[in-house]
Amino acid sequence: MKFSFTDDQRLFAEGLRELLANECPPTLVRDVWENGTGHSPELWAHLSGMGVLSMLAPEADGGMGGSFVDAILLFQELGRAAVPGPVLEHMAVAVPALASTTFGASLIAGDSIATLWVDDSPYVAHAGVADLILRDDHVLESFQSTDAHGMDGGRRLFTVSGGDRTDATPNVAGLDPFDAMALASAAYLIGLSERMIEIAAEYARVREQFGKPIGSFQAVKHLMSDALLKVEFAKAPTYRAAFSASIGADTMVRDISMAKALASEAAYRTSRSTMQVHGGIGYTWEADLQLFMKKSWALMRSYGDANFHRRRVSGFVLA
Amino acid sequence: MDLRETADESAFRLEARTWLEANVPAEPLPSFDTAEGFARHRQWEKKLYDGRWSAVSWPEQYGGRGADYIKWLIFEEEYYRAGAPGRVNQNGIFLLGPTIMEVGTEAQKERFLPTMASSEIVWGQAWSEPNAGSDLAGIKSKALRDGDDWILNGQKIWASRAVWADWCFGIFRTDPEAERHRGLTFILCPLDLPGITVRPIAQLDGDTGFAEIFFDDVRVPVENTLGEVNKGWGVAMATAGFERGVSLRSPARFSEAVNRLVALWKRLGDKSDTALADAVTDVWMQAEGYRLHTYQTVTGMLEGRPIGAEASLNKIFWSEMDVRIHEIALQIIGPEAERMEGPLERWVDGFLFSLSGPIYAGTNEIQRNIIADRVLQLPKGM
Repeated sequence: MKFSFTDDQRLFAEGLRELLANECPPTLVRDVWENGTGHSPELWAHLSGMGVLSMLAPEADGGMGGSFVDAILLFQELGRAAVPGPVLEHMAVAVPALASTTFGASLIAGDSIATLWVDDSPYVAHAGVADLILRDDHVLESFQSTDAHGMDGGRRLFTVSGGDRTDATPNVAGLDPFDAMALASAAYLIGLSERMIEIAAEYARVREQFGKPIGSFQAVKHLMSDALLKVEFAKAPTYRAAFSASIGADTMVRDISMAKALASEAAYRTSRSTMQVHGGIGYTWEADLQLFMKKSWALMRSYGDANFHRRRVSGFVLA
Repeated sequence: MDLRETADESAFRLEARTWLEANVPAEPLPSFDTAEGFARHRQWEKKLYDGRWSAVSWPEQYGGRGADYIKWLIFEEEYYRAGAPGRVNQNGIFLLGPTIMEVGTEAQKERFLPTMASSEIVWGQAWSEPNAGSDLAGIKSKALRDGDDWILNGQKIWASRAVWADWCFGIFRTDPEAERHRGLTFILCPLDLPGITVRPIAQLDGDTGFAEIFFDDVRVPVENTLGEVNKGWGVAMATAGFERGVSLRSPARFSEAVNRLVALWKRLGDKSDTALADAVTDVWMQAEGYRLHTYQTVTGMLEGRPIGAEASLNKIFWSEMDVRIHEIALQIIGPEAERMEGPLERWVDGFLFSLSGPIYAGTNEIQRNIIADRVLQLPKGM
């Protein structure tokens, strides 16, 4: 029994954090919101160059040959920077599911961009910048997309019609795409939450009222501590879910649902508390906090919200 | 990362399970906060010690097995699974013991650890005072040096297990000029010395699990000092770290409680009440999350990343979870939850006990301050 990451896994995640600190500052996220694309080709090229996008593709197909345990800290780091565009859909599902198909080579290289259309969803996130869309039994190309005005400018929503179909049965190491996305989103939500806490803690250290930094007041301390508590206790379940997925454990669906339920609730609580700590500035377009909050609100409802996943856990635990 | 047990760990689990199945008393013992229950629990601890199961993570020379923390967690899982008795000497084995191993002299280790492991000496904790609760640094009880002795004077309160314990470990002000955290010393003291009066305090459940201790010119030799003179605060904080962190509240306790809760829900829960099913699942996830978090923390400790102020996160988490588990149980039980004696009394007892969790070992409000100051680096202040 060993519940830790290897030095290589940690160093790779730290490398990604460093890359994103330089290449994906809040100003970049704001730019892609405002230019209407919700995606940065330059950032995409950096992620491709580092091997992040191809982490879950087999080495034989030109990928990094990693498992979900290798990828989970990367999803978290992507969340810390609120990386815009279809990076999770591409990396966690399209690349591993299509690696050995005719679509594989250009997806692994990052030359083409894929997103995911989950069954029953009226909207497809990122369709405006995607070359192909993966569905439950086919791949769609040359489709038409219409803006559906999503709240998060780094995760634009579209309705999609038409397109050319190619049969495909996506499967990610025994997981269906929905569950692979629930797992990746859980880690991404934890990263978002960590960043929101950092931003609010920094604000609480410098913003003064009554002649003191507001972070010295217990009411503020306790709001922040409670948010941190939820985030910290969502981490181990998320890493365990990644391990379960990596070995195809019998419990992997239950474990992924537990992770997504806890991470979604932690992120929502964190968004509320950190906005509250900001006071009036937290309710402005100008504050960077919104880039992370809105991404949280989008992802907490995507690929199953906390209620959906809690009930799925119930199905295993109370049966 | 590999969350599967090794062959060695599985063998250890089997050995523990086999021994516990053969030795755990068939009938639950009376509460250790009664005279008879205390004596029976002491006998049980001796039996554990003779099987070398009383302090599995301690070095063999002091009566342990030198087991790593992972094996300790496995032992705890088996211990709770077997429904074995509560640990009457937990103040000693899980709090003071590790502290002595960290800061004690070799002579102190030889003198105190084996009798602690066997519960020949059961330990009580004597830290809080009437005016030093959350503000523990406000301690006023004094120890004045007289030759080779300390002379102790003052009053301690909420001294857990002190009613029947043999010794206590306390913090006393040794430098009257020093203020707050400075000038305090950690002293070990027998409870049967002249000048000591122990006055039991009935808890919410009516048992006397804690007491006041009055010290009136009590003489103890200076060799009973643990750590350096006037550096007792640091020693106490190391002990508190164990208490808030992994050692006192092992995850197995909560895993066992939620498993019982799920069984209770299956037997008595209103299946049409989806909010109730959600609540049960929620605490199941919390207990599972706490277990996973602990395994992660312990792996980190084994790899040289010691637990710090994050221990305060654990303390808030397990204490609030424990209350929640029992609240839901009482909701399921309904009118029977009003009875202190009856078929479901264990849940009612458990509920009352759970309410102490957010208060003792530093209130959860103090823990939130610690997290804010040391983990989130927010400015000090109230």
